[in-house]
Amino acid sequence: MKDSESAEGRIGVFICECGPNIRDTMDIPGIREYAARLRGVVLARQVPLLCSGEGQAAIRDDIVQHSLTRIVIAACSPREHEHTFKKVLTDAGLNPFLMQFVNIREQCAWVIRDKSVATRKAKALIRAAAGRVALHEPLEIRRIDYQMDVLVAGAGIAGIYAALTLARKGRKVYLIEKSPVIGGKVAQYEKVFPNLECASCMLDPVLDNILHNESIELLTLSEVRDVVGYFGNFSVTVSEKARYVDAATCIGCGACVDACPVSVLNEFNGGLDYRKAISIPYPGSLPHIAVIDKENCLHFHDRSCSTCSEACPFGSVNFEDTGRIREVKTGAIILATGFDVFDPARAPAFGYGKISNVYTSLQFERVVNSTGPTEGKILMTNGKPPSSIALVHCVGSRTREFNEYCSGICCMNTLKFARMIREQIPDCSITEFFTDFCLPGKASQEFLNNMPDSLKPEFIRIKSADTVALSEEKGAISLSYEDVNGIIKQGLFDMAVLSVAVEASRDARDIAGVFDIPLGRDGFFQEEHVKLSPVSTVKDGVYIAGCAQGPKDIQSSVAQGVAAAGLVLSRLIPGEKMAIEPMIAAVDETLCSGCRVCAGLCPYKAITYNEKENVAVINDVLCRGCGVCASACPAAAINARHFTDKQVMAEIAGLLEQVNEQV
Amino acid sequence: MTTKPKIALYWCSGCGGCEESVIDMAEDILKIADAADIVFWPVALDFKYEDVEKMADGEIAATLINGAIRLDNQEHEAKLLRRKSRFIIAHGSCAHLGGVVGLANFSAKKEIFKRVYREVPSVLNTQGILPESLTLESGKEMELPAFHDTVKALNQVIEVDYYIPGCPPVPDQIRDAVLAVVKGDPPPDGHVFADTKALCNTCSRNASKPDKLQIKEFRRLYDSEWDPEKCFLPQGIICLGLATRGGCGERCIKANMPCRGCFGPPGNVVDQGAKFLSAIASLMEPYESSEIERLAASIPDPAGLFYRHSLASSIMRGRISE
Amino acid sequence: MNKFEPKIIGFLCNWCSYEGADTCGRSRKEYPSNIRVVRVMCSGRVDPQFVLEAFHKGADGVLILGCHPGDCHYKEGNINAMKRFALMKNMLRQFGIEDERVRLEWVSASEGERFAQIVSEMVEKVRILGPIPGKIRNDN
Repeated sequence: MKDSESAEGRIGVFICECGPNIRDTMDIPGIREYAARLRGVVLARQVPLLCSGEGQAAIRDDIVQHSLTRIVIAACSPREHEHTFKKVLTDAGLNPFLMQFVNIREQCAWVIRDKSVATRKAKALIRAAAGRVALHEPLEIRRIDYQMDVLVAGAGIAGIYAALTLARKGRKVYLIEKSPVIGGKVAQYEKVFPNLECASCMLDPVLDNILHNESIELLTLSEVRDVVGYFGNFSVTVSEKARYVDAATCIGCGACVDACPVSVLNEFNGGLDYRKAISIPYPGSLPHIAVIDKENCLHFHDRSCSTCSEACPFGSVNFEDTGRIREVKTGAIILATGFDVFDPARAPAFGYGKISNVYTSLQFERVVNSTGPTEGKILMTNGKPPSSIALVHCVGSRTREFNEYCSGICCMNTLKFARMIREQIPDCSITEFFTDFCLPGKASQEFLNNMPDSLKPEFIRIKSADTVALSEEKGAISLSYEDVNGIIKQGLFDMAVLSVAVEASRDARDIAGVFDIPLGRDGFFQEEHVKLSPVSTVKDGVYIAGCAQGPKDIQSSVAQGVAAAGLVLSRLIPGEKMAIEPMIAAVDETLCSGCRVCAGLCPYKAITYNEKENVAVINDVLCRGCGVCASACPAAAINARHFTDKQVMAEIAGLLEQVNEQV
Repeated sequence: MTTKPKIALYWCSGCGGCEESVIDMAEDILKIADAADIVFWPVALDFKYEDVEKMADGEIAATLINGAIRLDNQEHEAKLLRRKSRFIIAHGSCAHLGGVVGLANFSAKKEIFKRVYREVPSVLNTQGILPESLTLESGKEMELPAFHDTVKALNQVIEVDYYIPGCPPVPDQIRDAVLAVVKGDPPPDGHVFADTKALCNTCSRNASKPDKLQIKEFRRLYDSEWDPEKCFLPQGIICLGLATRGGCGERCIKANMPCRGCFGPPGNVVDQGAKFLSAIASLMEPYESSEIERLAASIPDPAGLFYRHSLASSIMRGRISE
Repeated sequence: MNKFEPKIIGFLCNWCSYEGADTCGRSRKEYPSNIRVVRVMCSGRVDPQFVLEAFHKGADGVLILGCHPGDCHYKEGNINAMKRFALMKNMLRQFGIEDERVRLEWVSASEGERFAQIVSEMVEKVRILGPIPGKIRNDN
């Protein structure tokens, strides 16, 4: 007998004794008899242990022998064994969705002492299930093709490791980088903690790998403009800005730079020195190709200057470059767009930008870097080395006024600075103003503990960074603060370094908008689950890694980059097709009036409005089956498969039918 | 000579607007007259109940009944006409869904009588008399129809074949319904002579909705001004068009007033008010619970507004009675 | 004397509150059997029509349980439930259904104790209110 022949079908009810668990707490034979008399039920069986091999076999045999078309399982919680019995149905040739699971253990046997009361409740639950299951529809699991290529936005350490991991077995990666060079913030450091390793020694081979990797297509000066589509099938529009220098022929000799007459502040050195309008960002930067800053280039103002072009021995300068727009098709996206730092000018008490020799930690990285403005020598603006330096922790961090969170890396970074300063200027007095010391990780505490006393800075615990104020006093910096007892103290220093908070990058909001992912409260990209899904987002197929997700150290950024790549590799498998969740919503276009209530409700942006047809359309790949749209639809035009209005109402009716009996 | 099919029109608890809409057919009423004989129409013609009682069962091809059922004589007549007619067409919102009359289901019969016959300032009823079905006066028995506890839609009392929705209905739809039935080309059982989809489908303001529909505040008509070209909802004005069957030609919208739901719920919906509530609640902008509650509380009479025409045929049907 | 036993329909979301009820069961914590559970994937699936239908079919109370705000498996389904509930409560009051008969609460997967407590409290409150007075106005 076919499914379609009668609405109720031929229902088989299987009641599990679950050993003594259910058997001893209710009258199962009575329940079985009751179930057998329910409308549409042709078979009711009591089984010692349904999930056992014998139990499953009994169901399978009964389905075949009695031509059952719908199944009710009364046993433990569906969250325990629903999948088990779905498989039994499939093996018996029945669609796994033609089953309703009744919880008579966790929510009945185990919580009701009175046997007759438990029996009555079990009967009601089974009756409701029989009424519901009669209305179940078989659901098919659709499978579709998907794109294998991956887009990684951001060529900092996290993005780089994501790209390299993906490219290991030839997966094509589009690595998009906004700036003209790769390496992100790590490329700006001289040494990294905890082992004070040379950053460029650590990083350069990796960067080289990127540039020479055949599977990685690097697009510098590029940003994503638009994304359309869904996991497995994204269509990404990338806009590449003009470099005005032909990358194929430029060898980075720097002749153009020498010739250029225009000087502007060098943003790669935190504005501490100058660069030309045509420049190679810093010695050793990769790719080692010049780039013209159109805003400041005279040629673009009034065509008056072509000095760089004349100086170039290879004719690589190309003022006619227009950049380009590209559309790439990818299956997944990894956002590793990094971070910016707190701008201390927002807290005038720190005197940043007003008092000389006050730097942010990021600027100081450039100061101590051999490729930086002073070739790594720590010097005051008057050219002399400082005799005293103040290192201030928590600038813009751990305060309600700016950022409540702790950035987690500045304490180690400041200790690193202390070591580096001491190595360069042995008798420099170094004072660290801190509130708490945050030293997570295996090697960090050791780093502090193992510092010989002779190398240790002076540690002064202060009430909070909010109490710190810098002012100019006789050409030096006067730093006042409140100590832990609230007493205001003061010190004089030649130089101050402000350990600024790691903040979400200034364009995080725009990026989130393009990729359609939410931001957390502090402006970083919001992970799908704070504990269990740190590199996924609610937008299926868009992953996040590195400081774009939240402040973290290099090791963690690498871990997240690799993790995101791992997730992508585990889902976009060549040759496999993607299975789509079948318990999702579908719009009935004969009923949909195009009122657009649903379109704005879906957190997964699975619903779009088709203007031409004036109906809502649900993308069956993006829909997660929550049913919010189905209940919101004022015309009941959305069918929530497996949880339809009719099915739920039938269940409600079944649960309440015993109007004459006492509960 | 072939006899023309017979049709009848009857009215129950209504305002007369449905009868007006028949007249509003203007010349088209001649098409009806050409196609059928009207054998019973209390508002316009002088046939009596006894004339109907004398007919054979099924002799009338189609009867249009408007108004809700509140009195027992209306129920009696509806049942009589059901026997005598092949098709019963619920004519207008009150017959279709209970209509505005159905809003009386928020009050108990006792309360209504007390109010109407004793408390209203313009009534002089020093003896506090309330209507009774049977009264003895000077040795004579006087009967009044009994007043039911609950207002009912027509299909809660008799089986109804078709529905012409609206308050008032659209004359063209009345004409089409009658002609379809008498010309022997009846639609499927239960057919409603209007669109299946909700009003937004044909409303010219639908295109003006933003991508994400959201409501920050609910505004009342009496103290607001609104853009006459744009959808009411983003402007904070409650328009029931989302949950209302289309086909009325958006008469109210074109008069710059929001829809009040008189055509009843669209094809697949049982309870118009509940569905509308679900939609409008989901459109509320706030996320924080006290803000949500404040916004919800700013609608003073959700039940009366969302069920303005459909209360009697909703799941709850009205206030729980004692 | 026969004590009035209210019939409560509970809509429990698959990810948090249903699991919370299971957790309660696993710790064998008893609670009144008056509650009959309908499992939905998300509290946001609870259509107001379901609530009305429950009362129409004889429920004395309706309980909707979802994940705590911020924890919803589907991001903000529970917020939708909250919005509908706020408006529905006001409307149900107009139908003569007291506030205590309809409740929306948040129960996480680990809050078995809390689940039992909410159910017990609700059953007692509805017991005091008594059965829905008279009948829902339908003879059909």
